[in-house]
Amino acid sequence: MNDDPDRPGDPEPSLHASDRETSALVALATIPDVGAATMLRCHRGPGAPAALEALAAGNIESIPALDRGLRRRDRDAQATVRAAAVAAARSADPDRLLADHRRAGRRVVVADRVGYPPRLARFPSPPPVVFLAGDERPLLGPTVAIIGTRNATRAGREFAAVLGRDLTAAGVSVVSGLALGIDGAAHRGALDALDADDADDADGPEATRAPRSGPVGVIASGLDIAYPRAHQDLHGRVLARGLLVSETPLGVRPLPWRFPARNRIIARLADAVVVVESRRTGGSMTTVALAQAIGIDVLAVPGHPLAPASAGTNDLIFDGGAPVRDATDVLVAIGVDPPRPRPAASELVGPTRRPTVPADLLGDAGRAIVEALALGPASLAEVIGRSGLEMDEVAVEMVGLVERELVVETAGWFELAGRGLAAVRGGRTS
Amino acid sequence: MFASIPSSIVLGVDGRPVTVEVHVTAGVPSLTLVGLPDASCREARDRVRAAITAAGLTFPLKRITINLAPSLLRKAGSGLDLAIAVGVLVADGFIPPEAVDGLAFLGELGLDGTLRPIPGIVPLVDAVVSDAVVVPHVNAADAALVDRCKVRSVGSLLELVGALLGDAPWPDPPPVHRPLPVVSAHDLADVRGQPVARRALEVAAAGGHHLLMVGPPGSGKTMLATRLPGLLPDLDPVTSMAATRVHSAAGEDLPGGLVRRPPMLAPHHTASMASMVGGGTDVLRPGAVSMAHGGVLFLDELAEFPPTVLDALRQPLEEGRIRVHRSQFHVELPARVQLIAAMNPCPCGEAGRPGRCSCPQGLLARYRRRLSGPLLDRFDLRIEVLRPEVEELLGGTGGEATSVVAARVHEARQRAAERGVRCNADLAGTLLDRWAPLAPDAHDLLGTALRTGRLSGRGLDRVRRVALTLADLAGDEGPLRSGRVAVALQLRSDALSSIGGGA
Repeated sequence: MNDDPDRPGDPEPSLHASDRETSALVALATIPDVGAATMLRCHRGPGAPAALEALAAGNIESIPALDRGLRRRDRDAQATVRAAAVAAARSADPDRLLADHRRAGRRVVVADRVGYPPRLARFPSPPPVVFLAGDERPLLGPTVAIIGTRNATRAGREFAAVLGRDLTAAGVSVVSGLALGIDGAAHRGALDALDADDADDADGPEATRAPRSGPVGVIASGLDIAYPRAHQDLHGRVLARGLLVSETPLGVRPLPWRFPARNRIIARLADAVVVVESRRTGGSMTTVALAQAIGIDVLAVPGHPLAPASAGTNDLIFDGGAPVRDATDVLVAIGVDPPRPRPAASELVGPTRRPTVPADLLGDAGRAIVEALALGPASLAEVIGRSGLEMDEVAVEMVGLVERELVVETAGWFELAGRGLAAVRGGRTS
Repeated sequence: MFASIPSSIVLGVDGRPVTVEVHVTAGVPSLTLVGLPDASCREARDRVRAAITAAGLTFPLKRITINLAPSLLRKAGSGLDLAIAVGVLVADGFIPPEAVDGLAFLGELGLDGTLRPIPGIVPLVDAVVSDAVVVPHVNAADAALVDRCKVRSVGSLLELVGALLGDAPWPDPPPVHRPLPVVSAHDLADVRGQPVARRALEVAAAGGHHLLMVGPPGSGKTMLATRLPGLLPDLDPVTSMAATRVHSAAGEDLPGGLVRRPPMLAPHHTASMASMVGGGTDVLRPGAVSMAHGGVLFLDELAEFPPTVLDALRQPLEEGRIRVHRSQFHVELPARVQLIAAMNPCPCGEAGRPGRCSCPQGLLARYRRRLSGPLLDRFDLRIEVLRPEVEELLGGTGGEATSVVAARVHEARQRAAERGVRCNADLAGTLLDRWAPLAPDAHDLLGTALRTGRLSGRGLDRVRRVALTLADLAGDEGPLRSGRVAVALQLRSDALSSIGGGA
């Protein structure tokens, strides 16, 4: 049998996964130093149960995949690693592990077997075992990954939320990592759209609504662990309305080295990847590289040329990524018709619920401040410097700007709210 | 025979009058010293005996009892030597009582009879009950700072005896060399850019408001802090005297005479509780807060100070003094200071700027929790100080000089005086409606700020006081306008509230 791990998964598998091989894979997934490639080789070769048995027996050399995967250059390190793996294999109880997952309502699917998501199967080196919780239907329709830096500006987060909301309203599932910053914002927007849909339903069926599609969250920990802690509620909401995906078994903590693996799943589940804000390097750019490697479109939201949070995204656009000004740009990129306009009576939650402020209503001082903030979040002294106004003028004007929700002040830093950015550009809002 | 000689000791930073009573009678030669003398004070018996002998006089071979009254007060130090020696000579009949009438005596005696200087001369002289006092030469200049007493100084016991007996005139006091007051090298014009910080310093100086500067290292917070004392007016006479007493009691030289300019102290964050508020068992040493009385206390790296030390500042900040209790006595030390503090908002140096600061939320929250709410609340002015841009450093317009700003501060303080307070920060909350009424637009603005949570009820009064100071600096008349309130709000940034992190 061809145990080449780089081969794409079987797009239409006919074999069902047996409990024996499923549980063996789950057990292998808990063993440190046994990675995805090794597991896939075992699975496609002698089979996971045989590999697990051999490992528990200490018979590593008998399985070439294990031998290769557990080889280290340093003799002592290798001995330590192998001893640890053998001990872990011995103490693992595959049946109980599988039962635990099932009891918790988590589905376990295996590469090359029935039930494995086709989206993951279509690429080389599919993740050997994947854990799912929630509704799998979002993976059947169009999907878009919205990713970005954890250290996002307010405007970036607002844009991600609006994008998530509008794409969901158009029937596209939003895939993201549940991280702080852009990821969380995108999913909150998606969930808001679903909540608004529910509210609409309560009023009666609407003919112009697009079909629903839930959010998909891909995480680096076991499905039972909500990380970061601040996103515990988000974790729950995404599970309730959509799907959670992970490559790690229950109870496993999100160690740093698991994040690239999680990013690769995000890339594979998406029809396109949208980066909202990113530095030149970072997790988002890793996901971008993974997406480009498998031929998935990458789009980016442009930002001010001098804003550090937009340095990476601007680079992507320069290198040929399509710019995203709103959800329509994304829908066009993945070949979905933009939605028909919603009736005015149904209200979406979001920053554009109130009418936008025409730029000319700002006044000279207000305009100077808003333009000064277009560069990025600033302290009072910086606003004074950039705008050229006196401190008293800025203080007084700022009151009005904050009240009209054009500017937000947090902890002494001033940032443009989404509407403020719109005012700068001259009126184009979502 | 009996003699009663006035003198004094230092307790805390104040002097307490002491009467040295000497009783000489026939009997087995002995010398008993009572009145709770400490170790160095008890050694007076040997010094006095040697000094009297060295002066060529006879030490009485009689039964001598010396009482340092009041007897419940612990006597510390060697400053009573001279009074004891004089007492012995008077009680023995060598010096007639009329010769020492109305004179107090202070000083340490060397074994050769020379009169040595003692620390704390200003509070000591301030406390004696006589009209005139005899002090060592070196202490004469500082002793003269106390107006009340006529000061005579001598170099040795022999000289003193000669003057008392009328055999020789009182020696001339040594010439006083007071150096010219040094023009402070810290001028506000040296600060480049930083419009918000300069404004905050001016407001802090004019209104006596405590100021907190939040910013990364290298942003110039220390430089700014050192400019504040230059903007403050001279100390009034009462405060000046109190500050002089403190410095004298601490054993410091007073090269400029009375302390007239507001002092500034910057204790390091590793300073102990005792060095901050005062301590010591027998001798109470004034702490940094007292040494800065009437001036500025600068706490750099505020978050690094132990919470206990910061908590100890509560009484001085609220009452302007520190009460220290020991088993033998309680003492009150003056401690009215204006507080300036500086801190880093976060370890990465980006000060929590959204989109740039890479500190995880948990770390930021923990960092900020180090400062208690009540302490932070005391700062009427809280500003961010960021590193100046390169253009500002190299070519920026120099700002106004200290003298210019100090003049405005002086005017503003005059207006505060008309309200019956030293500065606006001292204005009681109940008087705000009278002295700082709000115009309707200001009223609305504050209402919005309270509603949105930007301002708390406690902060409301503080913002009003700052707005009043701003109005004073600008020469406004009438109720406070929204412009002043808006700036006051900006100067009290919520820089240390938790940064919103979620979407």
